[in-house]
Amino acid sequence: MKSYLRCGVPCLAVLALALAFSWPAGAQEKEYTIKVMPPGGPAPRLPNGRPDLSGHWFPNGAGEGVSGRFGVDPAALSTFDPKVTPEERPAFQPWALAKIKSMTPTELELSKSSVNCMPRGVPAIWLQNPYTTLMVHKPDMLVQLYEVLNNWRVIHLDGRPLPKYPEPLFHGNSSARWDGDTLVVESIGFDDRTYIMPNGWFHSDELKVTERYSRPSMNYLFVEITVDDPKVLEKPWKSAARRWTLGNGEVYEFYCTNNKDLDELLKLRELELKQGK
Amino acid sequence: MKVARVMSATAILCGLLLSAMPSSGHHSFAAEFDGKNCKDFTGTLTKLDWQSPHAYFYMDIKDAAGKVENWSFQTYALITLRRNGTDRQLFIENMGKEVWVRACLAKNGKERYAAAGTLKFADGILRQVGQLQD
Repeated sequence: MKSYLRCGVPCLAVLALALAFSWPAGAQEKEYTIKVMPPGGPAPRLPNGRPDLSGHWFPNGAGEGVSGRFGVDPAALSTFDPKVTPEERPAFQPWALAKIKSMTPTELELSKSSVNCMPRGVPAIWLQNPYTTLMVHKPDMLVQLYEVLNNWRVIHLDGRPLPKYPEPLFHGNSSARWDGDTLVVESIGFDDRTYIMPNGWFHSDELKVTERYSRPSMNYLFVEITVDDPKVLEKPWKSAARRWTLGNGEVYEFYCTNNKDLDELLKLRELELKQGK
Repeated sequence: MKVARVMSATAILCGLLLSAMPSSGHHSFAAEFDGKNCKDFTGTLTKLDWQSPHAYFYMDIKDAAGKVENWSFQTYALITLRRNGTDRQLFIENMGKEVWVRACLAKNGKERYAAAGTLKFADGILRQVGQLQD
């Protein structure tokens, strides 16, 4: 399946169709109440002919919430299956790997945005986010409204270059271009409090992130991420094409105002330090 | 038709491979709670703290000696609860009523504090309100 990553949107369309029609009518359709979405016809297009990426996107194959629900088709649960589209492990430089390995499990937990309520940032917002994203796409801008922590981001599509002296931002400083029907967004200048993944994968001030957005059909959005960080990685890392599906319903409010996890984990860390861990 | 057959075979393969995928979670349950120390609790719902990132509900629970103590239980993120139909009004309507919950205790030793997994209100419907632990 790696080959579809090289052949771009046509192959993503085939993958979307394959995912959507994984089960013909039969026993499994009766068993699951939440199923894999069908492709839904061709993707809509903007007046300038580009694919319109607008939509309320769910990080799964169902086009609705799947956490905490019974009757979900396992094939609809996640954004990708490592058995189908495997991701290579990031090739950390020895010092970076040693730094990650030195973290205790509790320290690792405390570093997660899902625990400390810091913005996930780019690219983690596409790699470790179980909540939805509403996208509003116009010919000159792509607005991303992230449900998690009420974060948002505006990507200008007017071809402006990357800044020479970028501010360190959670979502970085971006420059966008089209590669056929794929929107390619390159970003630099990231706040050093963000992590690439919730496994201690930190980044340096030389981090460059490339996002590739494609919408092979009405109901499917794919986002591929490339992480280039010459101070931390031996070579750039590329994600699988992460699948998001079109849904309805509310984009819920999420202000992190009652974070007890952080306090409890800090107490646990104190306990561990007393025990010499 | 040949294309259709290839598509069908690919689709079935994808389906089989995807069927074993885990669901995504908010954060690591295991870091904060002890999945080997889970219990069933039955008591009276006394309070709801409906804020992000997690809701907390409180119950008066009798211990073996008959002493009533107030416990707090953490749930999923509010967004997850709302999407699975466990909304705030459901808790409000069950205030003062008997509730059953299966939950796991905190690792840091905090007393009368646990992560809820499954819950039943008076309607008897099993609801998933937090990560399933055991």
